[in-house]
Amino acid sequence: MGTSAEEPPSPPPPLEWDQSSSDGEEPSPSTSISFDRDRHVAYLEMMYQMLPSYYQSQEINRLTLAYFTISGLDILGALDRVDKDAVASWVLSFQAHPGDKNQLNNGQFYGFQGSRSSQFPLGCDGVLIHNLSHLASTYCALATLKTVGYNLSNVDSKSILTSMRNLQQPDGSFLPIHIGAETDLRFVYCAAAICFMLGDWNGMDREKAKEYIIKCQSYDGGFGMVPGSESHGGGTYCAVASLRLMGFMEDDILSTSGASSVIDLPLLLEWCLQRQAADGGFQGRPNKPSDTCYAFWVGAVLRILGGYKLIDGKALREFLITCQSKYGGFGKFPGELPDIYHSYYGCTAFSLLEEPGLNSLSFELGITDVAALGI
Amino acid sequence: MHGRPRKAPVPEDEAASAAKAEKLRALQSQVLSNHRHKIYTEEALELSTRLVEINPECYTAWNYRKLAFEHNLTRSDSNPNSVKSILEEELRVVEIALRQNFKSYSAWHHRKWVLSKRHSSIEKELWLLEKFQSADPRNFHAWSYRRFIAALMDRSDVDELEYTQNLIDKNISNYSAWHNRSVLLSNLMKKNVEGFTEKDEVLTKEYELVREALFTDEDDQSGWFYHLWLLDQTVKAKSPLLVSSWPAHGSDLILFQDRCLDASSSPFNIFQFDSGTFPLILYFSQAVEGVNSSTVNVEYGSNLNQGLVWKPLSTYKSRAAQAWITHKIGKLTLARLLTAYDALMSSGKLVHSQEILGLYIDLMKLDPPHYQYYKNEHSVVLLQQVMSSRESLLSRCFHYRDLTSSSRGYPMCLRLNKLSLSRIGSFAKLLWVQMLDLSHNELQSIEGLEALQLLIHLSLSENKLSSFTALEPLRQLKSLKSLDISYNEIGARSIDTTRYLCSSPLSNSIGNEWEQDRILVDGVSMTNYWEAFFVLKGLNLTQLDVVGNAIADENFTLFLVRVLPTLKWLDGVQLNLF
Repeated sequence: MGTSAEEPPSPPPPLEWDQSSSDGEEPSPSTSISFDRDRHVAYLEMMYQMLPSYYQSQEINRLTLAYFTISGLDILGALDRVDKDAVASWVLSFQAHPGDKNQLNNGQFYGFQGSRSSQFPLGCDGVLIHNLSHLASTYCALATLKTVGYNLSNVDSKSILTSMRNLQQPDGSFLPIHIGAETDLRFVYCAAAICFMLGDWNGMDREKAKEYIIKCQSYDGGFGMVPGSESHGGGTYCAVASLRLMGFMEDDILSTSGASSVIDLPLLLEWCLQRQAADGGFQGRPNKPSDTCYAFWVGAVLRILGGYKLIDGKALREFLITCQSKYGGFGKFPGELPDIYHSYYGCTAFSLLEEPGLNSLSFELGITDVAALGI
Repeated sequence: MHGRPRKAPVPEDEAASAAKAEKLRALQSQVLSNHRHKIYTEEALELSTRLVEINPECYTAWNYRKLAFEHNLTRSDSNPNSVKSILEEELRVVEIALRQNFKSYSAWHHRKWVLSKRHSSIEKELWLLEKFQSADPRNFHAWSYRRFIAALMDRSDVDELEYTQNLIDKNISNYSAWHNRSVLLSNLMKKNVEGFTEKDEVLTKEYELVREALFTDEDDQSGWFYHLWLLDQTVKAKSPLLVSSWPAHGSDLILFQDRCLDASSSPFNIFQFDSGTFPLILYFSQAVEGVNSSTVNVEYGSNLNQGLVWKPLSTYKSRAAQAWITHKIGKLTLARLLTAYDALMSSGKLVHSQEILGLYIDLMKLDPPHYQYYKNEHSVVLLQQVMSSRESLLSRCFHYRDLTSSSRGYPMCLRLNKLSLSRIGSFAKLLWVQMLDLSHNELQSIEGLEALQLLIHLSLSENKLSSFTALEPLRQLKSLKSLDISYNEIGARSIDTTRYLCSSPLSNSIGNEWEQDRILVDGVSMTNYWEAFFVLKGLNLTQLDVVGNAIADENFTLFLVRVLPTLKWLDGVQLNLF
């Protein structure tokens, strides 16, 4: 034991917080009613193989139905049921191509058409007589291509993006087709998602689109489809997802106090949370019955904002199970027969609830994370 | 596609269904052929009518009809009867489509399009709308169309307001009617229309109207949301306000370094520091930009200080933040903060907080789906109550003593433990805190904590923090020396790595820094601890407690020792110096 002159001084003793142990919390019992994955796979696979005759009237939206079916199978981890190359070729066949580069300034939109039945044959000079490219079909086309792993750099993005500018209106909103139609938030979303997936924002004026979105926020915090319209679950999703995709909203924004926002966030949060009804499901608007699909439209908004933990997940799950059909798929209301639209959004809702075995979603793009990242 | 009810297919319908499909295919190709060849005869138009009846969202058919309409209109412009019949026919077809699906976007749009061409049948439109809206008062397409027609007819907002009043009188829970009322009233007040210039009078009348709704059916959401909006109109604070600062405006500050504190000294104006500098902090009611030495004056003693650099405290690299900080270099014995650019808000006495707390507790019981939300609000109000007066705060101040040495003291500790807090809310009144005990609560996030720039010791033990990402505000606490996050839920759930490892443009905070500083410790990849790395690496902790979290194992200990070179105590165990 020599002199301790060279010994380093002992550090000050640690601060002793008052650490009495508290009772542990009881884990919540896991729900016994199950998500019937296999049956949903069977339902969607059947739709993939052949659409039942009652979908004939939806022929014009065939690409959209394909998106629901194929992305649905992807979420369920059953993409092996799909012939990816065949799907990619089929989707690409709907793309409208300009005759030459000069045509990109003729005011038309050169995107994807929704179905074979809205695709006119080329004229004798090789030019499209009627170009019915539609923004929603273009979104569904790109989303489907990404889902089957097709590399979008092979798509003629320049034509799509350059001509898409023709669809944007002075107030920032978008027409879905150049021949004229209604303009509302749905198509702002499609445009934003298209630019995001193609990795190029030259297709739209983001600032103007943002201004339009802000005008759609209603006095109660939600977003209507057009300025002045009542708040609506679908409109709210389109607004928030668009802002996020365009880079106007930070990740998990509610967890950051003092983060400035272009929209009224606390009111929006309140509106979204109040959409969960006493039966556990989500409604699209106040005083409306709960509907399967709003578990995604409103639930995804809450996820994007970082407020999803504030919902009653258990009650939502129980509601969705009552909408689950014994034939596979989901219906709109409890006990109803399934349809593709509600089946897809039922699956996305369960992915939001982090159901084991389901692939995670990119909430703002509407496809799986894996598809979005292009892995 | 959304609102279409369906019946289950019955065997004998199968054959009929197949036949129908065959006819539909034929119909579609005929219409498209007519479209392509620009055939606009009556027979051709009739085919398109059948198509939109089957699918009102068939935009190709509507497009064809628009072209046909214009073509036929041009041909018969001299004959007013022809024009009239063409118009009426078009409106009739839209009605047919709407009967199939009164939520069809395309059908409503077509009707608007037709009417925007010629105005002759407008009066009928209002009548039609009234029929529609009594059948389904929530149809937002109809409301949007109503606004369009009202504008076309130049109908006054006042008349439209009366219409909403009629609907509300018939059914007080008509949410759409209330919504439209808010839009109309906003317009009337903004344009200063006669009868709506006195905002107070207008709002008072509205309050009476909505009170009726609330009494009639208190469970109905319509009245409550409208009431919220009225409150917002009444209380709107347009510009941000300076809520508080540290040091407080006009205060005298006592600084000390190491000696033990007299237990009776007030913690609000005392500051223990050993670095020779201390910060100045401004806290606003909302995120602001533009805090700099030309907008803010700092005066101490008789000296006016210039050239201070203000930094926003925000977790993202944004220019706006609620809390702003600057450091004063050099020794100061007294400091005075002059009024900043905005006036100080007078602090209201929290008279109603007990009532509010009771209400939230009731709500938690009565509205279980929204339990967590009310719990958060309850926590916020509870804390506001605690912070509402000096006495209340002082009653929670506790004097820690260094048990081994009576000459070493700790700053005063504010104890906010065991309050079931799930959320903290505003930190405006806590800027002076150097030692904070938030243990034994239910915190899932510590948002806003970065404002407590003077914090040296912090306990978050026994809470519900589930990740290091939730601890991100700690990154900004450069003075923090001891941190207790024991017995939380960090590491209990697997992290969704795909969201962050690939630098997605959506996640703009992490990405680059991780790439440069990635470390390998004893061959163990630190990929699992990138969240912890991001939060801890800039801190100079001497003491850390992590026991009781799923993430705390041997590998994690190795990691911590590497990332925190200044660490002397880990989980109460003294670390050997390497």
